[in-house]
Amino acid sequence: MEALVSEPIVESERPGRPKFPLQPAEFAELYQTHSRMVYYLALRFLGDPQKAEDVTHDVFLKVYRKFNEFRGDSTLRTWLYRITLNHCRNLQQSWHARKLVTNVDDAVWENAASRADSPLRVLETKELGERIQKALDGLSDEYRLLLLLIADEEMSYDEVAALTEQTADAVRGKLHRARKTFAVLFEQTA
Amino acid sequence: MKRQVKHTAQEQEQEQISDIKSGTTSAQEFASAEELIRHDADQTVVPPAIAERLARSIEELPKPAPSWWRRLLDR
Repeated sequence: MEALVSEPIVESERPGRPKFPLQPAEFAELYQTHSRMVYYLALRFLGDPQKAEDVTHDVFLKVYRKFNEFRGDSTLRTWLYRITLNHCRNLQQSWHARKLVTNVDDAVWENAASRADSPLRVLETKELGERIQKALDGLSDEYRLLLLLIADEEMSYDEVAALTEQTADAVRGKLHRARKTFAVLFEQTA
Repeated sequence: MKRQVKHTAQEQEQEQISDIKSGTTSAQEFASAEELIRHDADQTVVPPAIAERLARSIEELPKPAPSWWRRLLDR
């Protein structure tokens, strides 16, 4: 299976970041600030709340134990995303062996026409999360990942490109298709 | 620059949510998939059980070995 993200790298030292080992207050603040982005990415990427809880727990435990491996060349956010995605990918490797995975991207793309340029209308917000999950589940891993990462406004195209080991132009091109496919799939969930 | 865009988008979403709650409008509109996903992320609550489980796991981690001078003093 092709790697979705690059392996964790040891980054060079930069002043001004918390020292290892993290003090309880520092770790609590780090968790408070970043737990939602980690949980949300795992939740929507894997589509399983229990697995998302496991990933979030494991990611932050690893951060607590291995914070000395973060040297600050990338942002803390990017580092956390990298760890999260590697955990998700590890979970998926055993999961895919048991679950039939179908990517409908191409089939949907054929019928997408100009759907992506239209706004997405939502009448009922109660089940919005379920509808978003269904639409994301219909995307390939790569398209789903790119949409989730770029939806985070703290992440630039360059950072997403570095995280997924491709050029920013490639990310833009794939996102164009991902948006269109998502729009069609989302409409089908109504 | 990015932060300002985020702030504005969040404000718009909050206004839309308020409108829906007050019954003044029946639909929300999102300009893109990213905006919709962002809205979903903002509404997502991290289960408190994760923090509790994490605290327990950290408690159970082996404590770092004492330094050589501490071991010497403890003899």
